Amino acid sequence: MNNHNGSSGNKPRISFHEFYDDDFTPRAHYRPLWDHIRATGQNSLEVKAHESQLALQTEGVTFTVYGESDEGIERIWPFDLIPRIITAMEWEKIESGLKQRVKALNLFLNDLYTDQKIIKDGVIPPELIYQGKDFRREIMGITPPQGIYTHISGIDLIRAEDGEYLILEDNLRTPSGVSYMIENRVIERRIMPEFFDKYRVRRVDHYPALLLDALRSLSPRGKDNAEVVVLTPGVYNSAYFEHTFLAKEMGVELAEGRDMVTINDIVYLKTTTGLQRVDVIYRRIDDDFLDPLIFRSDSTLGIAGVINAWRAGNVALVNAPGSGIADDKAVYPYVPDIIRYYLGQQPILKNVPTYQMTNQQDREYVFDNMEGMVIKAVSESGGYGMLMGPASTPQLRREFVDKVLENPRNYIAQPVVYLSRHICYMDGELEARHLDLRPFVIYGEDIQVVPGGLTRVALRKGSLVVNSSQGGGSKDTWVLSE
Amino acid sequence: MLSRIADSMYWMSRYQERAGETARLVEINLLYLLEAEEDMSEEDKWLPLLKISSSEELFSELYGAEALINSQRLLQFISSERGNSNSIRSSVRLFRENARVARDRISKEMWEMVNELWMSINDRLRSPLTAEKARPFFVLLRNEISRFDGITANTMMRGESYSFYELGAFMERADMTARILDVKYHLILPDLSRVGSALDYYQWAALLKSLSGFEAFRRKYHAGFRALDVVEFILFERDFPRSIFFSVETMGRALKTIGLENKERTAGAYFALREMLENTTAELVFASGLHEFLEDFLTKLGDLHAALSEDFFQ
Repeated sequence: MNNHNGSSGNKPRISFHEFYDDDFTPRAHYRPLWDHIRATGQNSLEVKAHESQLALQTEGVTFTVYGESDEGIERIWPFDLIPRIITAMEWEKIESGLKQRVKALNLFLNDLYTDQKIIKDGVIPPELIYQGKDFRREIMGITPPQGIYTHISGIDLIRAEDGEYLILEDNLRTPSGVSYMIENRVIERRIMPEFFDKYRVRRVDHYPALLLDALRSLSPRGKDNAEVVVLTPGVYNSAYFEHTFLAKEMGVELAEGRDMVTINDIVYLKTTTGLQRVDVIYRRIDDDFLDPLIFRSDSTLGIAGVINAWRAGNVALVNAPGSGIADDKAVYPYVPDIIRYYLGQQPILKNVPTYQMTNQQDREYVFDNMEGMVIKAVSESGGYGMLMGPASTPQLRREFVDKVLENPRNYIAQPVVYLSRHICYMDGELEARHLDLRPFVIYGEDIQVVPGGLTRVALRKGSLVVNSSQGGGSKDTWVLSE
Repeated sequence: MLSRIADSMYWMSRYQERAGETARLVEINLLYLLEAEEDMSEEDKWLPLLKISSSEELFSELYGAEALINSQRLLQFISSERGNSNSIRSSVRLFRENARVARDRISKEMWEMVNELWMSINDRLRSPLTAEKARPFFVLLRNEISRFDGITANTMMRGESYSFYELGAFMERADMTARILDVKYHLILPDLSRVGSALDYYQWAALLKSLSGFEAFRRKYHAGFRALDVVEFILFERDFPRSIFFSVETMGRALKTIGLENKERTAGAYFALREMLENTTAELVFASGLHEFLEDFLTKLGDLHAALSEDFFQ
C-alpha cells in the first residue's frame, strides 16, 4: 500500500473528541447527559463511582491476569461511569459495514478451504495464505454447515482524526468481551438509572438468546434436539468469567476438554448418569489446542477426536476450525479487495492504512518513520508483540528492525492513529482518555450486529493501549434508537 | 450433570463446612485452655489439635522439626497458613474456587455471598490472628457460613446438584464432628481420675457449646453432664442436626435423590456406615473404646468418599 506521499508525516495531529465539539461545547447527542451531570454535581459522581466498584466486586465481575502466584490474579473489571453514545445514523453505517465485512470474510474462508478461486484469480498471493500460521491444511475440503465459519466475530473499530470509523482488526477466533458489554449495561442501569430517562437506548442484553439460537440452528440432530456446550480451557483462563457468564445465561453446560470423550466420531459429555451426546460446541480455546490428534499433540485442553467428529458432520464447532487465517494481520490489508472480489461492492468501512513488511518499498518507508508507526506481529493479539513507535526507545526500534528483517511475513505496520477521546471520570475529575469499540456480530440463520459493543478505554493519560491486560478500562456503549 | 461439576459442588460444600468446623475445633480448644486448673505446657495445650487434624508432619515441614508448638504459631497454621490446604483461609479460598467452577449451577445470591466472604476473610487474615481476636473472628465466620446455608436452602434448585451439595456438607460435618469428639478423648485420656470432676463438667459443656448443642442437650437430659449422655447425644441423637447419625441419615437421602442404580460400591460403603451406627449404643461404644469407634467411623467415611469419586466424579 504505497500511500507514503502526502500522508501526514510530522505535522501535529489532534485526535477526535467524541464528547466535545471543536469549540469545547458538548456535541448535540451528549447535551442531555451533560446537563444532568452539571445539575447533580460531581460529588454525586463520586458516590456513584464507588457504588459501581462495589457492585462489580460483589458480583465477581473479573478477569484474570496471568503469571506470578499459583492462586492467579483476578482483577475487578474496570468500568467508567460516563457512557459512550453512538447516534442512530452512525450506527447504521457501522452495522451495514460490519455485515458486509463478515459476509465477505466467510465467503473467503469457504473459498480458501475448497477451490481457492481468489488465489487462482491472483487477488491474494498464495504464499500469504500458505505461510500463515492459522491456515489449517488439515481441514481442506470440509465445508461446515451453511458454509459459515465465524458465527461470532468481534470487530475492533477506531475513529480517525476526522471522526470516521475505521476497522482496526478482525477477531474471528474466540473474541471475548461480550459479557462485559452486558455487565456494563447492567451496572450502568442500576447505578445511573436517571441517565436513561433522557435517551432511547437500544438493548444489548438479548445477546445470549441470539447466540443460543444461532448455536442451536447448527445442531446435526436438528434445532429442537440440540445439546449445546461452552468449552472453556478452565478456571484460570483470563476470560473464565465470560465463559461461565455465557453458559449460565444460555442455560447450557460449561465443559472442559476432559469432560468430553469421542467414540465412533460422536462427542459425549461425561455425566454422573453416564455419557450424553453433544451436538454443538461453542469452543473458547484456540485451534492449536482443540484436538491433540490433529493439532498440537501436547494439548490437554482439547478433545481427542473432535475434528473427525466435526468432519463426519456429527458435531458443530463454533467458530469453525481454520477461521484464524481470515483475521491474520497480514491478510487484513487485503480485506477491502476480498469484499470487492466476493460481493462486487465497495467496502463501507475502511481499513487503517497498512504497510506490508514483505514489500521492500513499504518496509524502508516504515524503518525511516518508526516513531510514527505501530508495528504488529501478525498472529499475536491482546496488545502483545507490538511496537508503539511514539513511546519506543532507539534500542527497541533497532530490535524490531532485526525482527522484521528476520521474518517480514510476520509483521505489518500502521501509522499511529490517535484514537478518539472521550471524557472519563478519573479520581474526582472528568478527563479525556483514548478509546476504541468492539461490536459483536452473530452469523446464524442471518447476520446480526448487537446494537452496542465493548468500548475499551486506555486509562493511563495519553496512552493508546486499551487492552484490559495492559491497564485498559471500559464504558457502557449506547446506540440510540433515533 | 457433568461429573466434574458434581465433584465441584461436593467439594464446594465440604470446604464450606470445613472452614466452619475448623473454627469450632480451635474454639473448643481455646475454651478448654481457659478452664484448665493447672499449668499446662504450650505444647500439651495444642498438640492434640495437630494430632486430630493429622497435620503434625505438615506443621514441622512448614516451620521446621524443632519449631515450638505455641498458640501464636498454631493459630497461624490453622487460620491463615497458605501452605496448609486445610487452614481456614485455604478452606474459604477452595470453597470459593469450587463455587467458581460450579458457578453456572449455583444461584447468583450464593455466588455473591461466597465471593464477598472470601474477600472479607482474606482481608481479615492479612494480620496475624491472636488468641484475643480469634473468638470474634470465629463467631463471624460461623455466622457467615450459616448465612450461606440459608441462602442456599432458599435459592437453589432441588435435585441432583443440590444433593451433591448436601452430600459434601454432611460428609464433612460427620467427619469433623467425629474429630471434635476425639479432641475430648485426647485431652482427658491422660487423667481418667478426673472423670466427673468440675473440670470435666466444663469440658463437656464446652464441647456441646462448640457444636451448638448445649441448650438442646440440656432440654433433653436436664441436669448434669454424664459422659455417656453427651456421647449418646453427639453420636446418635436423631433430631440434632450436628449429630453423626443425623449427618449420615441426610447423606442417605441425598444419595437416594442422586440415584444408586449401578453404583454398587457407593451403596455398599453407605450401608456399612449406616450399619455401624444402628447396631450399637453409647454404652457399647464406651466399653470397646470411644477413640477406636471414631477411628473406625472415619475409615468408613473415607471409604464412602472413595466410592463416590469412583462412581460419580470420574
